[in-house]
Amino acid sequence: MRAALTGIVASALTLLMTTTSALATDLRMTVWTGSEAHLKMLNGIAESFKARHPDVNVKFETVPVNDYTQKLTFQVAGGNPPDIAWMMEDAAPAFENANLLMDLGPTLKAAEGYDFADFSQPAMGLWQKGETVYGIPFSTSPFMIYYNKDMFDKAGLEDPLALAAKGEWNMTKFQQVAKKLTEANPGKWGFEFKDGEGYASRMTHALLPPIRAYGGDIWSNEECGFDKPEAVAAIKQLHDMVFKDKSIVPPGEQGDYFSGNSAMTVNQISRASKMAEAGFNWGIAPLPGGPGGESPVIGQAGLVVFDQGKNKEIAAEFVAHMTNKENVATMAQFFPPARKSVLEADAFISGNKLVPPEMMKNVAAAIANGRVHPAHEKAPQLLAAMAPRVDALWKADADVDQAIKGICSAIQPLL
Amino acid sequence: MTDSIHITRRGGQKSRLTLKAREMMEAWLFVSPTVIGFIIFFLGPLLAVAYYSLTEWNLLTQQATFVGLANFENALLENPDFWHVVRNSVIFALGLVPLNMALALTLALALSRPFRGVVFFRTVFFAPVVTSAIAWAIVWKFMLQGEGGFINQVLALVGISGPNWLREPNWAMAAVIITRVIKMVGLNMILYIAALQAIPRDYEEAARLEGASRRQIFSMITWPLLAPATLVIMVITTIGSFKVFDHIYQMTGGGPENGTLVLAFYIYQQGFKFFNVGYASTLAMIMFAIVMVLTLVQVALRRKGME
Amino acid sequence: MSLRQTRILYRACWTIALLIAAIPFIFPFIWMVSAGFKSVTEIFGAPSLIPRVWRWENFVEVFTYQPFARQYFNSLYIAILVTGLTLVISSLAGYALARMRFAGAALLMLFLISALMVPEEVTIIPNFFLMRWFGLVDTHWPLILLPTFGPQGVMATFLMRQYFLALPKELEEAGKMDGLTRFGVWWKIALPMSRPALAAVAIITFLHSWNLFLEPLIFVSSLEMFTLPLALSNFNDSYGLPLWNLQLAATSLAVVPILIVYLIAQRQIIESFALSGVKG
Repeated sequence: MRAALTGIVASALTLLMTTTSALATDLRMTVWTGSEAHLKMLNGIAESFKARHPDVNVKFETVPVNDYTQKLTFQVAGGNPPDIAWMMEDAAPAFENANLLMDLGPTLKAAEGYDFADFSQPAMGLWQKGETVYGIPFSTSPFMIYYNKDMFDKAGLEDPLALAAKGEWNMTKFQQVAKKLTEANPGKWGFEFKDGEGYASRMTHALLPPIRAYGGDIWSNEECGFDKPEAVAAIKQLHDMVFKDKSIVPPGEQGDYFSGNSAMTVNQISRASKMAEAGFNWGIAPLPGGPGGESPVIGQAGLVVFDQGKNKEIAAEFVAHMTNKENVATMAQFFPPARKSVLEADAFISGNKLVPPEMMKNVAAAIANGRVHPAHEKAPQLLAAMAPRVDALWKADADVDQAIKGICSAIQPLL
Repeated sequence: MTDSIHITRRGGQKSRLTLKAREMMEAWLFVSPTVIGFIIFFLGPLLAVAYYSLTEWNLLTQQATFVGLANFENALLENPDFWHVVRNSVIFALGLVPLNMALALTLALALSRPFRGVVFFRTVFFAPVVTSAIAWAIVWKFMLQGEGGFINQVLALVGISGPNWLREPNWAMAAVIITRVIKMVGLNMILYIAALQAIPRDYEEAARLEGASRRQIFSMITWPLLAPATLVIMVITTIGSFKVFDHIYQMTGGGPENGTLVLAFYIYQQGFKFFNVGYASTLAMIMFAIVMVLTLVQVALRRKGME
Repeated sequence: MSLRQTRILYRACWTIALLIAAIPFIFPFIWMVSAGFKSVTEIFGAPSLIPRVWRWENFVEVFTYQPFARQYFNSLYIAILVTGLTLVISSLAGYALARMRFAGAALLMLFLISALMVPEEVTIIPNFFLMRWFGLVDTHWPLILLPTFGPQGVMATFLMRQYFLALPKELEEAGKMDGLTRFGVWWKIALPMSRPALAAVAIITFLHSWNLFLEPLIFVSSLEMFTLPLALSNFNDSYGLPLWNLQLAATSLAVVPILIVYLIAQRQIIESFALSGVKG
């Protein structure tokens, strides 16, 4: 007993020692994935970096995705920022404005064979200000409809992919289909919001695609968009679907698409890796269009280097290495690229092990035409200010117009 | 060092003063780890937070400016959220403290005398106390889900349509209070049992011989004698109710509609989610003041009651 | 009905009432373990305590989605270190406060008592900057230092002081006569006599550290560094998708060992808490 205790204490002490010391050539990079496949790929890229920099080790540190930005802030504010970090789109403006990020422009443009102009201009919007490059997007991933083919068959309905091919996949059809699916599959639902988190952490991800389909936006030019007629129409439709048709998983219920409890959901291509074990036939289709035309929504994530870092020059070179043509193509199996050359290459469309080419075509098209989620420096405050009003919206007896006005009056001062 | 003291004492030649001085030095050596740690990790930070509360300070940009009492003005006069949060904290305390103490006393009265099964019941009622608040909240959060939740499914069996507990502000507050009481009542129960067992049995026997009823014995003898314990328990429980954080964090995250956004959670949100270090420090100072005042009021009331 | 019969009836009524009252205290544990074996669909399906399909693999997958073993170890070694440090420091200070007369003792007591009243949330922000200054953010040090020296440590000091006060002085006097130093008296006489108080401090401190949440939430960021409560509150796959059944399996794995220890040593544990509340 005593020996065991001594052992534990001793190893604990060594642990404490080692975590605080660092070698000069170790680069620390925070990521939010813990997936073995992802880490294996990333480590491979780090290994290939050694060809030119044999003394540089890159260590990937997994920070859980839900609190990622906050934990990253703690590290930065705690005087212990990583050298390189994955960064979510909604966090980028705050970090850029706080002057925490290094300008990668000079390093990237000087890198051999890098071809900076190959990155599609719309995709760079969030990461570039004038000549300053704050980050490079490594994932430009559109929101897609995932559907459960078996449930569509059971209801005798054409699936979204077929409907989209005929140009009939719009918001009206979406509502009809969801209702029929719910009726044909008792105890299940027609549609689930992204990750089942549409009433909580992903509330804007739930609202944005339909609002865009109707031709609106959640906010733009420092002005709240929820109370514009297009957005109101979209929100009313969703509200009807949740509480009248009962075809969308309501608040407080679990209707996980991936376990076969909802016929459709919205998600990104990286989630296709989860489908292998799903146990039903499935497919990917574009988001339904609407009066506003087709308006794909893109979720982005970028690579940034922290200005405080001691090894920021090497770190920037690693970012250049990681986002060169070859490595972007490697990463494209999980993270859709923003490089035009890779996006247009056959390999991207036909080389995906999980998603057939006719579906990947839609993914590529969505990347080309899509717009990112509106960003804002005060994104966390905006979400927190919205949350209580959005809670009020998602009730059966809610006065939708009133709730929407509440959302706008809550966020307008912050915008 | 300690040896020399020993020698001095044996010799007995040195004056008493030196002996006293040595004893004092030794005593300070004994308490020095506690005192140093206390100053570094408690007193210093407490003074620092008082200063921070007068600044506007962004955690991300690390820029601080002195703004005087502006944060206090903002909280107390301008920001409607602040009073909403205080209201929530007060409701939480007003719901939790009496419920917890009444239940604790009832259980203690039932379990203070030995009978077959008493150990079993004490063990059961105390079990949630040793469980982590996060684990407890996780389990209850699942059981309180809308239609699919266990509680509502059981209610449905007897024909009651339960509310969507954690999605309706008032129900969510009630749910948070009740589950917290179940989690913590065992501690107060044990404290009451200890206090009850400290009351000499003769008092009660004497009263019974004089023909006092159970109720009379309780209100004339037991309850007054429990007063000191009641005070301690009330202070501990009240402070505990104001610092509840993990339970709320896991069960509701302050929602729905900010219905369970309490002070401790609000401080965390402002300081570490919105990076307003200055404003969060102001809130921390206000929380400090509230807890201090409440404690003093309770002590004073009790003292008055005893006179 | 005879007096005896009424008494039996009365007692039976009480026992039944207590049994009903006990349900919300025991049931969550049973539900937790049962749900830990279920699939997500079944957790939210018809209520039943016996899983239709026993998914033992839940308990294996817990370890693949997060470095759960490592997180378990983190919680364990931190709790042991905190407990050890607290025992030494609080018994030293408690002894001095109980047995030695020194200038400033009364003032020190007052300061320490006031510390018991202050919630940790009040000082957490300056402590964050303090740890940053020490370069200890994203290490386990804050999780060791803050509980040891914060209100929890102060509570332990009081508990020890009260216990030392109640001990008879004679043995210690005898020890002094035999030539023991103060330190020797503390170590060889006072400490061995105060085993129950030391055990109480150890139990309460260990559980407090084991269940700590706010401090890890703020000071620790990578999965490898997480402690158990933090890991449980954030049980998602790599994309942030909640893993409900694994979360419940992991929660069971975190809670059940503590419950077993509690059931074995329930008397000792309950008494420890009784000591802390009344004396503190």
